[in-house]
Amino acid sequence: MSGRSLSTLSLPLSTLSALASAGYETVRDLSSSTPEQLSKDLNLPLPASQAVFSATRASAVLPLTQSAAAMMGATKRYSTSCAPLDKLLGGGIRCGSVLELMGPAGCGKELLAANAVKTFVEANQEVLFVDMQNMAPPATIRRILSDGPTAQADGLDLVHYQTLHTLTELVVFLRNLCDYLKAHSNIALLVLNSLEFPLQSVLNYKDRAAIMDIVKETLARACQDMNLIVIITSHLHSKQVPGTEEPTKWIMIPAYYDNQLPKGRTYRVLIVPQWKTSGVMRLLFSPTHVPNRPVPEEPYQKIGGMIQ
Amino acid sequence: MRIQQLVPPLSADLAQALQEIGIKTDTDLLLAHDPLTIFAKLPTGHGVTLRQFRDALAQVAELASAPVAYGDKLFEQEMKRQEDIYVEDMLLGVPEVDALLGGFNPPRVIELSGDAGSGKTALALQVALRHLTRTANSSVLWIDTGGEFSPERVALLVEKLEGPYSTTALERLQVSLAFDIEAAHEVLEAVRQALSAAADSDAAGEVYDSASASPVTRCIVVDSITSLLGPMLSATSSQGHAIMTTFMRQLRAFADSFSLTILVINTSTKVGPRNTYVANPEAVFETGRKPGLGPSFTFMTDATLWLTRRSRDEQEGDADSTVHTAEVFRSRITRSKTWAPFRIRNGLLVSA
Repeated sequence: MSGRSLSTLSLPLSTLSALASAGYETVRDLSSSTPEQLSKDLNLPLPASQAVFSATRASAVLPLTQSAAAMMGATKRYSTSCAPLDKLLGGGIRCGSVLELMGPAGCGKELLAANAVKTFVEANQEVLFVDMQNMAPPATIRRILSDGPTAQADGLDLVHYQTLHTLTELVVFLRNLCDYLKAHSNIALLVLNSLEFPLQSVLNYKDRAAIMDIVKETLARACQDMNLIVIITSHLHSKQVPGTEEPTKWIMIPAYYDNQLPKGRTYRVLIVPQWKTSGVMRLLFSPTHVPNRPVPEEPYQKIGGMIQ
Repeated sequence: MRIQQLVPPLSADLAQALQEIGIKTDTDLLLAHDPLTIFAKLPTGHGVTLRQFRDALAQVAELASAPVAYGDKLFEQEMKRQEDIYVEDMLLGVPEVDALLGGFNPPRVIELSGDAGSGKTALALQVALRHLTRTANSSVLWIDTGGEFSPERVALLVEKLEGPYSTTALERLQVSLAFDIEAAHEVLEAVRQALSAAADSDAAGEVYDSASASPVTRCIVVDSITSLLGPMLSATSSQGHAIMTTFMRQLRAFADSFSLTILVINTSTKVGPRNTYVANPEAVFETGRKPGLGPSFTFMTDATLWLTRRSRDEQEGDADSTVHTAEVFRSRITRSKTWAPFRIRNGLLVSA
């Protein structure tokens, strides 16, 4: 048995202090004893001593581990139904990656995210669509899915739709996400529409950082375990350029820092409308991003939704 | 240590009698009370005289004391180990930086710290990949605590580092996701099982079929240990510091017993209080930043390398590369306050 120190196991403090005062230091010390003997020795209830023994049982396979080759091997790409975006991403969005669409209000990013659902439904994969600002109600999704020659009659059944408006609901959703995905293993796409909307009520930067930590951890785990594709839309924040007075100058900046999303998997695309029906899309961050270099751009045209 | 586990064991009557009065461990026996008090408290009918009891206490004290090590024997062992291990190739590939610490050969625990973008992950990646492309049967464990590991970036780097075994290098780079300290302990435990099993089968002298043997872990990289240990450190409780110390000592014991190189990536914080600039007294070049996780963290590793990115608008307008410096802040193995420059060109570290 191994020489692992018992204090590194995740057990309640009362159990750990009982073990320490009886002189059990490593897992090897427990090898000569059984749960019943231990509970008598330490004066613990039997379930607690059984918990000690089950915690010491090591798993044969490294938890949450993959080889880098396996991570690269998920080469299946899905189209986002928007040609300039596919081109920016290098042919479509890869399994296990996170795509963030940012842009000013009214640029059509939420509709773009809703359009991306189409490829997945056509490939008979399920989609979990979370709408936080009512920008893409189920009727819109039904219309998108029934458009086009390859529409299926029951396509809408493959879309799990959820609305959230408050911060509490968002946190509960994130905490339950991994279990939900395990229960419905056919879900290949998660859309978090208007993620910034519940977060804008958080005024304290520490609380905001804590919630983004939860988002990052949940997304990284889901993408690694289940090869999930995540599309997030967020609006931009306005910031005053310091030092300019009368008239003050304001710029729009992304809502999240680069390190608040899992850096190894995230693609951040900024939609810049330049004229009424056209503009450019810029890839601000990708896993192979090199800082201080000009970013790739693709022009787009806005025809109803957003197509080149 | 429990009294039942002492080797050679105490007499059964004495052990039983001690259990009855509530003395279970050797610290209880030696330190809780005066020997006469304990002897007086023992229940009647144990048949042990006072002299036998004192002899037993002396024996327990000897077993409980720390093992003795002679300096000259330790030196001999260290010299012998250095000769044996130089076969393994664990170098950065930039001679000036390798000379700062004498290479990255096992067993070492080295801390890489610096501001964001200073090249810590790039350095660790280069050491790991260079080793993988040049050694056939070894693997590297990358513990990712923030989801930052990017396989595309690594694949690009493998192409640039030509080596005889680059085709299988990516399969032998194992990436684990560990967002909190418990997950990190689980990962280390699994590695420990795998390595002890490998060591046992080697010791038993089984026929070694190199084609089917699984690769042996030779290097562990913990990317951003700050996010693992930082949130637990607080000014009001010392529990976080205790967890940090236990974890680092465990890494150290790992490195020693299984002959591993462990690279720990740490981020930086300001030296002075908010809004005031205080220069770091340990740095060769003036800076207001220091490695994170407090002043004691640097003593838990063998050496601390501080990386900085120098501004790019210096001579040689080489648009593709950035100039960095690596300084040794504190080292148990070589001189500190030495530094070397290096360049990062397209993700690859080269001499400046």
